[in-house]
Amino acid sequence: MAHDSHASSHAKQLPVELGAPAFVDGWRNRALLIGVIFSVIAVILAFLAQAVDPEHLGWAHFLRAWTLGLTLTWGFSIGGLTMLMVQYCSGGKWGLLLRRPLEAMSRTWPLIVLYFLVVAIFVKRLYLWAKISDPEAALRSHLISEIQAHCIAFKRPMLNIGAFWWVSLLCFAIWAFYAIRLNALGLKRDTQGPETIPYWIKKFENISGLGILIYSITMTACAIYWVMSMDVTWFSTVYGLLYLVEQGFQVLAFAIIVVLSLSKAEPFKTILRQTEQHDLGKLTFAFVMLNIYLAFGQFLIIWSGNLPLEINWYLDRIRGGWGVIITLDFIFHWLVPFTLLLSRNLKRNKRRLVLVCQFMIFAVAFNLFWLIEPNFKDAARNLHFSWGILEYIAVPVAMTAFWVAYFCRQLKARPLVAVNDPHLAEILEPEHAIA
Amino acid sequence: MPAREGTYGLLAEFDTPGDLVRAARQAYQDGWRRLDCYTPYPIEEAAEAIGFHRNKVPLVTLIGGLMGGAAMFALETWISVLAYPINSAGRPTYSWPAFIVPAYEWTILWAGLSAGFCMLALNHLPALYHPLFNAPNFRDGATTDKFFLCLEALDPKFDLVQSRSYLEGFKPLSVVEVEY
Repeated sequence: MAHDSHASSHAKQLPVELGAPAFVDGWRNRALLIGVIFSVIAVILAFLAQAVDPEHLGWAHFLRAWTLGLTLTWGFSIGGLTMLMVQYCSGGKWGLLLRRPLEAMSRTWPLIVLYFLVVAIFVKRLYLWAKISDPEAALRSHLISEIQAHCIAFKRPMLNIGAFWWVSLLCFAIWAFYAIRLNALGLKRDTQGPETIPYWIKKFENISGLGILIYSITMTACAIYWVMSMDVTWFSTVYGLLYLVEQGFQVLAFAIIVVLSLSKAEPFKTILRQTEQHDLGKLTFAFVMLNIYLAFGQFLIIWSGNLPLEINWYLDRIRGGWGVIITLDFIFHWLVPFTLLLSRNLKRNKRRLVLVCQFMIFAVAFNLFWLIEPNFKDAARNLHFSWGILEYIAVPVAMTAFWVAYFCRQLKARPLVAVNDPHLAEILEPEHAIA
Repeated sequence: MPAREGTYGLLAEFDTPGDLVRAARQAYQDGWRRLDCYTPYPIEEAAEAIGFHRNKVPLVTLIGGLMGGAAMFALETWISVLAYPINSAGRPTYSWPAFIVPAYEWTILWAGLSAGFCMLALNHLPALYHPLFNAPNFRDGATTDKFFLCLEALDPKFDLVQSRSYLEGFKPLSVVEVEY
């Protein structure tokens, strides 16, 4: 604290220039470069794996890794949209701080549609239920097991290519509607005076409240179609909720990185206070806890039941070398962020908090690898090296890098601070009020 | 402990937290160490001004939590493996996933209890008496709208006359001498 606390009894001044600083263009260029490099690596790896690996699954691995990239970037984009709606409903200074970055995240939805189209076009190469049109015949020729044949036939009304396309596109349409509407209103709100604040708060609450409910349903549908249905035999009622929490986890981690990196220059240099940084760290910590709570709850219930119908999903992901991955998943996804975020000092230290958040995003991708790869016959209960498996690094990195570049473009599109908000005055005050 | 007698300290009363923080910061800079701030609501600057220090509550909480978790996990293991081994659906007697939830609950319970009791112990609570209650303006103002700085007589710099004029230099509403 400055010695002359007479001056600190006055609020800080909001800078005149509220646009994103110039170095965001630098981030974008760097992200584009990484995206191009890893795209090239991914294609080379696919050809290499196709030629060298005994299973010749280069392009299959490419598509599986693509699904990981899709799920990850979808979490940033639609998760960002949802966090935007959550902060409109909850209020709070952290929400004002994150509003513009979250809006920029929500506006990246067209790229996610593009990513999805690749999965939708190659749906027959990724999903057993799409590939097998006649389960009876496939069972007779020993391509699938009896339980798989039964499940494919039984779940046909839901798991068919038409439904896959239409449900996903409907979900995208709904999310796009919310993203466009909230973004347009967000800009309109700032053109009006403070007397309109009560109207806007109600308006955003009404849109967002219903939006969060609809999000949780649509997001569950897509999580089931895109990832869970890779294993036709298995289901879990907490699956959607797990993805919901995962999206909160990764969105907060990403938003913290963005906000703390932006605070090197105006306007975030002025509006970012240690108090809100600490609050964001605590909120992230809550998601770390909630995630392990649900993930372990699912495991404990299935482990206790020990039913042949359910337990195989876990056995596929524990036996044959996967025990190492699930242990590391536990360490990366919960133990490391949990123990580090417990520390008050760390949450108040910009550099260390950013490092933890970067690690958390890596952990999300690692967890998705554990979720996706054992769905396939060649990998279930059989973790082994192949050139193709390296696609799980190359493809998601490239896809996320392109997403980040697109995000940076969106971040530059409008001022970084929402001004027509009562929290703005509070956030400009000194950390603790001195009358 | 025998009852102390004599002067506990000098109590300066301020109208605003800003005045209190400025006075406290100056006093700390001038070498005062046995001093304390009393405010109707938490003011972190005041704590920083008089040399904010870390206490042992987080450490005790951590140790309490770990001990609670370990104790429950050990208890469950002892019951299931040694004391009453029961074949439950063919699972091994040492079935750790089933032990996690009670162990976790005990971690939370013991961390919470350790934090609470450690805080009370370090604050020397419960205390039925504090010398400052002898000052009428403290009784009236400390929980409503007044901000107090107390220079304690235990400080080697303390001198009844000089310290009073020192405190009056901060332009407080009043300076009163507090007896034990």
